[in-house]
Amino acid sequence: MLSRGFRPITRFSRFFSMNVSVGTPGEKITTKGVQFGETGKPIYLDNQATTPLDPRVLDAMMPYMTNQFGNPHSRSHSFGWETEKAVEKARRQLADLIGAEKREIIFTSGATESNNNIIKGVANFYKSRKNHIITSQIEHKCVLDSCRFLERQGFEVDYLPVNENGLIDLDQLRETIRPTTSIASIMMCNNEIGVVQPVKEIGQICREHKVFFHTDAAQAVGKMPVNVNDMNLDLISISGHKLYGPKGVGAMYIRRRPRVRLEALMSGGGQERGLRSGTLAPHLVVGLGAAAHVCSQEMDNDHRWISHLKDRFQSKITAELTHIKLNGDEASRYCGNLNYSFAGVEGESLLMAMKQVAISSGSACTSASLEPSYVLRALGLEDDMAHTSMRFGFGRFTTEEEVDFAADNLTTAVKRLREMSPLWDMIQEGIDLSSINWTQPH
Amino acid sequence: MLNLFGRRLCSKAAAVPLLMPRFRMNNMTLYRHNFMLNNLAMRSMCSKADPETVKITFLNLRDNSEKVVDAKIGEHLLEIAHSNEIDLEGACEASLACSTCHIILPDEIYDDLEYPCDEEDDLLDLAYGLTLTSRLGCQVFVTKDMDGMTVKIPEASRNFYVDGHVPKPH
Repeated sequence: MLSRGFRPITRFSRFFSMNVSVGTPGEKITTKGVQFGETGKPIYLDNQATTPLDPRVLDAMMPYMTNQFGNPHSRSHSFGWETEKAVEKARRQLADLIGAEKREIIFTSGATESNNNIIKGVANFYKSRKNHIITSQIEHKCVLDSCRFLERQGFEVDYLPVNENGLIDLDQLRETIRPTTSIASIMMCNNEIGVVQPVKEIGQICREHKVFFHTDAAQAVGKMPVNVNDMNLDLISISGHKLYGPKGVGAMYIRRRPRVRLEALMSGGGQERGLRSGTLAPHLVVGLGAAAHVCSQEMDNDHRWISHLKDRFQSKITAELTHIKLNGDEASRYCGNLNYSFAGVEGESLLMAMKQVAISSGSACTSASLEPSYVLRALGLEDDMAHTSMRFGFGRFTTEEEVDFAADNLTTAVKRLREMSPLWDMIQEGIDLSSINWTQPH
Repeated sequence: MLNLFGRRLCSKAAAVPLLMPRFRMNNMTLYRHNFMLNNLAMRSMCSKADPETVKITFLNLRDNSEKVVDAKIGEHLLEIAHSNEIDLEGACEASLACSTCHIILPDEIYDDLEYPCDEEDDLLDLAYGLTLTSRLGCQVFVTKDMDGMTVKIPEASRNFYVDGHVPKPH
């Protein structure tokens, strides 16, 4: 393993990263007919789908899966008190990461639940006075689906288009706001293409117009600095497993002053200030808190390491391949996400040709469907380019060797597929593929 | 006497825990007691004229019953409800520790009032059937502008008495 220069936790993570060696050094392991390196597993470059659990997080969680099993809402004995204390510590840790107050954090089961709760909750609470919602066309499906659900109930929704670079137009946002707009929901960092929206400016506009601003920050919190006050955020959604924490837990940030109210989706015992009834899962909550704590400690290291990996990968593939397109803005994006389209290559074939690397052709939720990504469509990408997109996600535990291997594997695969492709010949001859009428006359 | 003044004291000094001992007595005794005290206190304290009153209607959404009462300016709505035998819980006796005196004000009255303090807001989060113009009755003091307004009392409170039982003031 090469030295990981800037990483103080190098030695540490070598013990714990996914690359725990199961074979002897240099040995190749074959699984399902595919030859892998020493680990017997593909290289993981899908850190937008999920991130591995940081070992420090697992350590924090362990007691709450074993002997400290109390219900954190039990008030009459020490079993409850000790888990309640742990839950409150986690709340503090998460609040500190985003510059919020402890009481403004509500734990949920994940970002999908947070998004549902917030969008439906705010819309429903203020519906007697306001019935309009603004969101963008490249939001996560849970936001879009919540909005469609509200549309069926009679709310009016505007889905803002995005520019070619994936960013929304602030003037258009301004024009779309009505006196009846209750909430605007624009994601911070896109899960597919990694573009980072100008949330601070969006927040400013929303505040001027007295519209609550929600941002789905599942891909951003823990990976880039987020401060709810500096960025004018009223509500945010957070996911545990995107920041090296456990799956099955997330959180909402709900501003207390000026207070944002929402109608709870869940009826019950009134836990989490009545906004999310149901007994908390202390081990998961503690895991989320610990993950947030680790993220705040490692933020700079992570950023340096991941941008280094990204630059390394990017320079390798741009040196080897032509006719590739980086989807989404080049400057305003999260460094751990590269989304490329490869002209003349079919996306699914590329996935098949890269069996030793775990990547995705879109968001994890779409990879089972054959439709090209709606996010790339919103960017105005031609169908053929949208079909060939591939997402590479680097994370805290990705190594240089993995990146090198993936880049080599990718360039070889793209070149080989292009050699077989009649489209590629046409592209090289300078034929505009979109001008061709593919259907044959009968 | 203690009870009466205790209640008034707590409502003014928001969020002070209940310092006065609570008198537990049956409903009617309490009302009679309060009524007598109110009269006595009024006579002894306000020797000049009767304090100004306005008409306020309490609409109980549980059974849609209405009651018009004379509300003294400066008293809070919980006090007024209790002295008029209106079913508004107020379990913490205006010490700002519960949400059982949750009421719903008309839009224009709500908008004219000062924004509730953080403690009241936190309790409102827990109120049953919160609306845009919800307040805690113990934090709304009657003014002249409230003449003729209708205050709604929600169908239920945070107490899970689903058998129809109505808790009485302590």
